[in-house]
Amino acid sequence: MKTRLTGIVGLLAVVAAAIFGLFVVPADLNQGDAQRIMYVHVASAWLGYLSFGVTALAGILYLWKRDLRFDAMALAGAEVGVMFTAFAIWGGMMWGKPVWGTFWQWEDPRLTTTALLLALYVGYLLLRHLTDDPTRRATRAAIVGIVAAIDIPIVHFSVIWWRGLHQTATFGDPSKLLHPSAPPLFIIALMSMLAAFTIVWVYLMIRRYQLARIEWQIEEHGRLGRINAARRVVQPRPGASAEVRVEEVTS
Amino acid sequence: MSELARNAGIALAIARKDALAELRGKHATTSTLFFAAIVLLLFGFALGPDSRKLTEAAPGLLWLAIVFAGLLAVGRLHLVETDDGALEQLALYPVDRRAIYAGKALSGLAAMLVLGGVLLPVVAILYGIDLAAAWLPLIVTLLLGAIGFAAVGTFYAGVTVRMRAREVMLPLLMLPVIAPLLLAAVKATTAALGGDPFGELTSWLQLLAGYDIVMLIAGAATYGFLLEE
Amino acid sequence: MPQTTIYVAPRSPGSPDNPLSAVTTLELARLFGRSAALAGVSLRIEPGKTIALVGPNGAGKTTLLRILATAIRPSFGSAQVDGLDVAKDPERVRTRVAYLSHATGLYDDLTALENLRFAATMLDVPAAEIETRIGTALADVGLAAVAEARVVTFSAGMRKRLALGRLLLSPHSLLLLDEPHAALDEAGMALVDELLGRWREVGITVLVASHAVERLAPLVDGSVRLDGGLLAEISGTGVSHNPGRAHIGAPSMAGFDS
Repeated sequence: MKTRLTGIVGLLAVVAAAIFGLFVVPADLNQGDAQRIMYVHVASAWLGYLSFGVTALAGILYLWKRDLRFDAMALAGAEVGVMFTAFAIWGGMMWGKPVWGTFWQWEDPRLTTTALLLALYVGYLLLRHLTDDPTRRATRAAIVGIVAAIDIPIVHFSVIWWRGLHQTATFGDPSKLLHPSAPPLFIIALMSMLAAFTIVWVYLMIRRYQLARIEWQIEEHGRLGRINAARRVVQPRPGASAEVRVEEVTS
Repeated sequence: MSELARNAGIALAIARKDALAELRGKHATTSTLFFAAIVLLLFGFALGPDSRKLTEAAPGLLWLAIVFAGLLAVGRLHLVETDDGALEQLALYPVDRRAIYAGKALSGLAAMLVLGGVLLPVVAILYGIDLAAAWLPLIVTLLLGAIGFAAVGTFYAGVTVRMRAREVMLPLLMLPVIAPLLLAAVKATTAALGGDPFGELTSWLQLLAGYDIVMLIAGAATYGFLLEE
Repeated sequence: MPQTTIYVAPRSPGSPDNPLSAVTTLELARLFGRSAALAGVSLRIEPGKTIALVGPNGAGKTTLLRILATAIRPSFGSAQVDGLDVAKDPERVRTRVAYLSHATGLYDDLTALENLRFAATMLDVPAAEIETRIGTALADVGLAAVAEARVVTFSAGMRKRLALGRLLLSPHSLLLLDEPHAALDEAGMALVDELLGRWREVGITVLVASHAVERLAPLVDGSVRLDGGLLAEISGTGVSHNPGRAHIGAPSMAGFDS
C-alpha cells in the first residue's frame, strides 16, 4: 500500500514539475524551448548513476553476506538504471539536434560516457540472462557490477581529457546551464523535476525488487518441492528430517 | 619461504605452463597474429588509398587491431584451462587466488606484448610510419596498454569461460570497460609519433598507468569468486 | 608392486563437537538450476577409514565429493573436513584434501613430467624434493617410460594413471576419489586397489565413489549408499548418520534467506 502511494505521489509530482517546466518557466534565450528537455534529461542521467551505484553496493553486500536478496537489489538497480540511462541519452540527442545541429556530439563528454555506461550495463543484464544457476548468476553479476562501477569514473575522466585535447568551442555545454548565474526559475524547475523523478525511481526500484523476489520464490518452491518429494520417496533412510521451506516474501 | 615469494612462484609457474602449452600448439599464436595483420590490411582498404589519411589514423588502427586480436588471445588463454577439467583442478590447489589471477594475467601480458611487438612494425610498413624516432615512448605505451588489457582481459575471460555464448560475451562485456585504455593508448601513440608538440604524452601515460593499477587491484580482489561457484 | 612413499598429513584435529570426525555433513544439499543433486545428507566419517560411496547414476555421489573438495558451495546445510567448514574456510580445507575427479585436470600440450611438475609447485612440494617425488610417482603409476610424452597422446587409462600420480606428490588427510577404477585396464585397477590398501594402512581417510561394489568390498571399512540425493543406507564401520541437530541446530540456509 505504501509502495502504491509512493507511485501515485511520484506520478503527480512528475506531472506538476512538467507543468511548471513547460508553462511557468520562460523559454531559454539561446536554446528556446529545446532547453526544457534538460529538466528530464539531467534528472534521468542522475538516477541512472544512482541505480548503478546501488547495483555495485548490492554486489559487494552479496559477496559478503551471500544473501540472494542483495542480488535482487542489484538486478533492480541495473534494470532501472538502464531504463533511465537510455532515456537520458534519448533526451540528450533530442536536445542536441536543435542546439548543436546534430544528434551526436562527440565533443560532449557526458554523452559519450553515458553511452558507454549503457553498454556496460546492457552487458551486465545479458550476463545475468545467460547464467541459469541463481548462486552462480549472483556471484558473476556481483563482481561484474563492481568492476563496471569502478570503470565509470575512469571513463568519465578520460573522456573529459580526450575532449580537452581538441580545444574546440564548447557551445551548449550542459554544465553552463547548471552555473549558479542561471535564472533561478530554471534551477527550481530542474530541482523539482529531479525530486519528482527520484520518487518515481524509488517506486520502480521497490517494485522491481519485489518482482525479483517473487520470481525467485516461484523458482525456489519448484526446486524445494522436488527435494521434499525426493525425501518422501526414498525409503528407508536413517534419521528423519524436516522439510526444507522457503521464507515468504512480504511486500 | 615468505607468502609473497610463494605467490610469485605460483604465478610464474602458471605463466610458464601457459607459454609452454601455447608454444607447443603453435597454431593459436600464429593464427591470432595473422588475424591482426589481415585486420590492418582491411583497414587500409577501408580508408585508403590516400596514404596521408592512413598515416593519420595509424595509432587508432593499430590499437583497434591489438584490441581485436587481444580478445582472441585472452579468451584462448582461459580455454587452455578447460582441457579436461584443468580449471577446476587449478581452483582446488591450496594456493592464493590472487596468485592464480596474477599468473593468468602474466601470460596474457606476454601474449599482448608479442602481439604489439609484431603489429607495430607491420603498421609502420603498411601505413608509412617512422618508428625509430619515437621508439622509447612507443614501447612504454605498448607496455602500459598491454598490462591494462591483460588485467581486464583475464578478469572477463574468467567471467565468461564457463558461460554459454562466451565468444560473444567476452567482447561485449570487455569492450566498454577498456574504452579508457583504448583512448589513452591511441592518444599517447599519436603524441609519441608526432613528437609530442603539446607535452601531453606524460599525462596519457599516467592515465594508462593509473588504469592499470586500478584494474589489477580490482581483478586480483574479485577473480577468486569466479573459481568457486 | 609400487614403491610408493605415502605422505601423510598431520593428524586431523577434528571438530570441537566431533573430535573423531574426518568428515561431518549436516543436511547438506546442492541445487543445480532446477534440480536437486543433493537433497540433505547428514553423515560422519571417522578419520583413517576407507569408505565406499555407492548408488545409481545421479544419486549425488559426485556432488557430495565436489562439495567436500570445495569445488562447489553447498546450497543448504554444512560440511566440515577435519572440523574446517568447506564454505567458510575453503583455503585451509584445500591444504588437507585431494580430489580425483572424472576429468583428469591435465594439460594436453604438456608432457606427463611437466604436468606433475606444475602440480607439485601448486601443492607446495619443497623444491629440492620435486624431482624425486615426481620420479617415484611416475614409476608407481607405470608411466616412467612415457614421462616425456605429451599427454594428448595418452589413452584414457594412461591419463587416469597420471592423475593418480598427482595424488602421490604431497601429503593429504582426506582423499576423495570419483570412480578411480574407471577407464583402467586390469593392471591399472590392481594399482588402484594397491593404493587404497596403502592409504588405509597409513591412516588416510578415503571416500571413494564407485560402481565396482564387489571389487571394493574387501578394501573398505564401511559404505554409504546414496539415492536421489539422499542417504539411503549405511553399513560397515567408520561411517554413521549424523543426528547433528542437537549440537549444531537447524541447517544453515547458505545463500538463502536466513
